[in-house]
Amino acid sequence: MKKENFLIKMTDISKRFGTVQALDKVNFTVGHKEVVGLVGDNGAGKSTLIKVLTGVYLPDQGEFYFEGKKESINSPKKARDMGIETVYQHLALIDLMSIARNFFLGREPVKKYAKVINFLDRKKINDVARQALKEIGITIRSIDEEVSVLSGGERQAIAIGRAIYFGAKLLVLDEPTAALSIKESQKVLDYVTGAKERGLSVIFITHNIYHVYSVADRFTILEHGKKVGDFNKDEVSAEDIIEVVRTGKRPV
Amino acid sequence: MKNKSKFSSSIALLFRYHPEFGALAGLVLVFIIFCFTATRFLSIESIAGIVTVASELGIIAAGVTFLMITGEFDLSVGTTFGFSAMILAITAKAGIPLWIGFLLALSAAFFIGLVNGIITVKYKIPSFITTLGAMMFWRGILLAVTGGFAIRYWGTSSFLYGLNGHFLGELRTSAIWFFAIIFLLNVILVKTPYGNATYATGGNKEAARILGISVDKIKITNFIICAMLAGLAGCIQFARFHSVDPIRGTGMELEAIAAVVVGGTLMNGGYGNLIGTLFGVLLMGMVRSGLIMSGAPAYWYQAFIGIILVLAVIINTKLKGWAIK
Repeated sequence: MKKENFLIKMTDISKRFGTVQALDKVNFTVGHKEVVGLVGDNGAGKSTLIKVLTGVYLPDQGEFYFEGKKESINSPKKARDMGIETVYQHLALIDLMSIARNFFLGREPVKKYAKVINFLDRKKINDVARQALKEIGITIRSIDEEVSVLSGGERQAIAIGRAIYFGAKLLVLDEPTAALSIKESQKVLDYVTGAKERGLSVIFITHNIYHVYSVADRFTILEHGKKVGDFNKDEVSAEDIIEVVRTGKRPV
Repeated sequence: MKNKSKFSSSIALLFRYHPEFGALAGLVLVFIIFCFTATRFLSIESIAGIVTVASELGIIAAGVTFLMITGEFDLSVGTTFGFSAMILAITAKAGIPLWIGFLLALSAAFFIGLVNGIITVKYKIPSFITTLGAMMFWRGILLAVTGGFAIRYWGTSSFLYGLNGHFLGELRTSAIWFFAIIFLLNVILVKTPYGNATYATGGNKEAARILGISVDKIKITNFIICAMLAGLAGCIQFARFHSVDPIRGTGMELEAIAAVVVGGTLMNGGYGNLIGTLFGVLLMGMVRSGLIMSGAPAYWYQAFIGIILVLAVIINTKLKGWAIK
């Protein structure tokens, strides 16, 4: 937090839904190659903050800087174009579509036919998706397989692999280990570390402090739409964080 | 998949990736049955008759398929069918060139689809309701304007011939329109980014939105495609009958939906294709003709279609569930 060199800097972000103040002047930063654990109880404002960051909601107030430049993100597409990739727990992939089609959804490579019609470049789609997933260490049976047959961990893996392939600078993971087996959770945590090693920053939203504690460099804790504090990993133990989330107060 | 033999797992894959397979099997089965029960079922006239009826319904069903894959319904296609046909008939009778009447008819369909799409997307209400309202509203306008009377137009022209004229004896040009539309839409669906976006929108619209797809635009566009195809089908049928009555097309929306669902397309969207609809429509046309030629009263058609519809969905659901295991 000393150097003023952030990938993402959000200042005084407020968002209100009717009578509910979902976010109240929240400051939030993510450094380069940093894994930030965004934690807090239900209704703390984690999801709202992320949806502001990724262009799903417009904030009522506040400023946003990306690589030091002031920006306004008004659509998920813009966030994606800037290099912010979000992997939502249930919204990462389309169940009824193949892995290959999911991988390139919204950014399909095309071959021009008769200089007018853009056809999907099926060969490229299949080859690149297979290769990219392999590089990250994801093994799948067939690239044509429908996503609905995959396990929760495999889905997360594909979504993370996709983000890395498309040159994301910031990966936002929303409850990536919820409802996963122990083995699968560990795999996803390994992908997070792998993403960091490749130079990405990661925001890791979760209820499971132990999961995030093993991979995060820093923790931002929210409570009732306000920030309780930022803690570097060397300052706190996992138990301390749980205590802060439980009581909603900074440790004394 | 480990406990299945290689053969049965490749059959499973076939069903999982080819929603049209069930309808094809049904088509073959019904065909074989009628070959035994119906006299002269295998004649050119009989086949051509089936294709002619199937083509008009099929052009509507093609649009309905596209929209259903997007995750939406259009119950107003029967009304749009009648509305467009009526516009072409009235303008033709008034001496306006047919191609202008045709463009006006398609424009009206475009407008109906656009309104359906915008209302559904903007107010976030089920398209079942939007298009049920549209079905009643435009039908009401049609009845009010015509006073309930049919319009006849006995003129002939190459334009009407192009829409639905005879060729090669008993065949009609409507079949060419039908097959071309099925082919074109299926290419768009399976081979282009737009098709990918359509599947994604129907499969999970929130996920698609987050992945940067303009879900609303895709939906509105597909409402328009669906309505315009219904309008085109109306004009094509007018070219065959040379007359339109204001209740023309009533019930066709449900027949189209039945054909689409028999063809393996999922009601909730995200899964299906046009080839299945092709088989579904042919199956229904075949049942209609085959029953009559087997000597059954025409009323039985509805009863049979009802059974086929429910059976097809049960079988498709079972097959898909079995294939995924």
